[in-house]
Amino acid sequence: MSTAAPAGPGTAPAVPLTPRWWFRPVPLARVAVFRVIAYLFIPVDVFLTTAWVRAHADVPTEFYQPLVVGRLLHLPTPTHTVVLVVQWALVVAAVLAATGRAPRVLGWAVFLLYAEWMVIAMSYGKVDHDRIAYLVALAVLPTIGRAPWRDRRSSEAAGFGMAAVLVTVMLTYFLAAWAKMRFGGWDWATGATLTRAVVRRGTDLSLWTLDVAWLLPAAQWAMLVFEFAAPLMLLVRSDRARVGLVVFLLGFHVMVYAGVGIIFLPHCIAILSILPWERLRRSSPPTGAVGAVGAVGAVGAVAVPGRDGDPPG
Amino acid sequence: MPVQTAPDLEAPPQVERLSPSGRRARLAAAAVVLALLLTGTVWGDDSEFPFGPFRMYSTRADPDAPVVSTRVVGVTADEEEVRLSGGEVGLRRAEFEGQLPRLVADPSLLGLVAESYEAAHPGGPELVRVEVVQRRFELAGGERTGAYTDDVLVGYDLAAGS
Repeated sequence: MSTAAPAGPGTAPAVPLTPRWWFRPVPLARVAVFRVIAYLFIPVDVFLTTAWVRAHADVPTEFYQPLVVGRLLHLPTPTHTVVLVVQWALVVAAVLAATGRAPRVLGWAVFLLYAEWMVIAMSYGKVDHDRIAYLVALAVLPTIGRAPWRDRRSSEAAGFGMAAVLVTVMLTYFLAAWAKMRFGGWDWATGATLTRAVVRRGTDLSLWTLDVAWLLPAAQWAMLVFEFAAPLMLLVRSDRARVGLVVFLLGFHVMVYAGVGIIFLPHCIAILSILPWERLRRSSPPTGAVGAVGAVGAVGAVAVPGRDGDPPG
Repeated sequence: MPVQTAPDLEAPPQVERLSPSGRRARLAAAAVVLALLLTGTVWGDDSEFPFGPFRMYSTRADPDAPVVSTRVVGVTADEEEVRLSGGEVGLRRAEFEGQLPRLVADPSLLGLVAESYEAAHPGGPELVRVEVVQRRFELAGGERTGAYTDDVLVGYDLAAGS
């Protein structure tokens, strides 16, 4: 990695979790793209993919079982009105935040409203574990501030934000392995956990696995090994490795969805922060960007592809 | 920082640095969140969300113990079952399962479930009773035998004419 590599930000070698690693600069353009994805996911989440949260508006409040955070902060009992107000405030704030305007004020508003939305979601007897990395993403986005797509600079604040999301994505796997040891015991992988999952929630794509005696226990061993190995993903540096990592992780989640109909969608959105989105600009500049660069007087240079972005092989 | 020469857009881009206090604040925040997450993983439970343990599928299922699948149903006068735990009253199956101890201790909560169902489905069938049914699929050596039993864990008779 010479300093001349244009993809330098975020790719400089550093020991994970050291200050130097946390603050490796990341292109603001990467944040610009991820921010739009993260904020526009909220209306999708609220109205489509996790619509059961809205359904809590019609659940008698007797079924509300406040979490520790709800009791500590004296959060309101989610009556019909509370749920509707939070829902609409959240969706409007998220759509506005996706425009990139007032990134700090709108960003913090979205984070707080989504956190309250999660309290409404998780206080009825079932807690999901697919939200932490996404919550961290919403928490760090406002700390990065303005991140215009056309900005060619990198930023240490962006580097910290993306590093924080990566660490949380990693921990979602690593600490899941830990929880399996804590709750399931060291022999977790020899149990029938996946069999139970397929019996309860199996799909046409997975029910056949019940008839292959060795398959699901082998899958349990594989899961355990991958989850304990998750910290290795902090070593990701080159753009190619980032793409490979994201494809691998999303592939796992798609497979789980095919098998038992569970998808960690917010977690998958957080995973998208790992991708080198700024490269979209380098390879095929959108027409709007050409105009902007033209104003700087360097139209010709845009057409030059970033051949040396990544060492081959 | 090297000055960017006019035609060379591939030159190392400028970097926006953080102030020392900005770095310290961020590292401190990261340390706090990490400490909470680790504490939650080691000692916490789901009620500590978002810092509880990542316990999805973390319990070990005994290969020879039955797999239990719970459902909440309304029962009509004709003994027909109406499913209530598939989102019909705003609660998911897993949420009912998480509240089973409460439902057993206070079956009148099932009456509220019926009221919610009737409010959401005004033209729906008349319910006389709400039941929590547990279906046990038999496993032997981790494989399904195909046999299952249904047991009513708790039931609640709805007052006539309510």
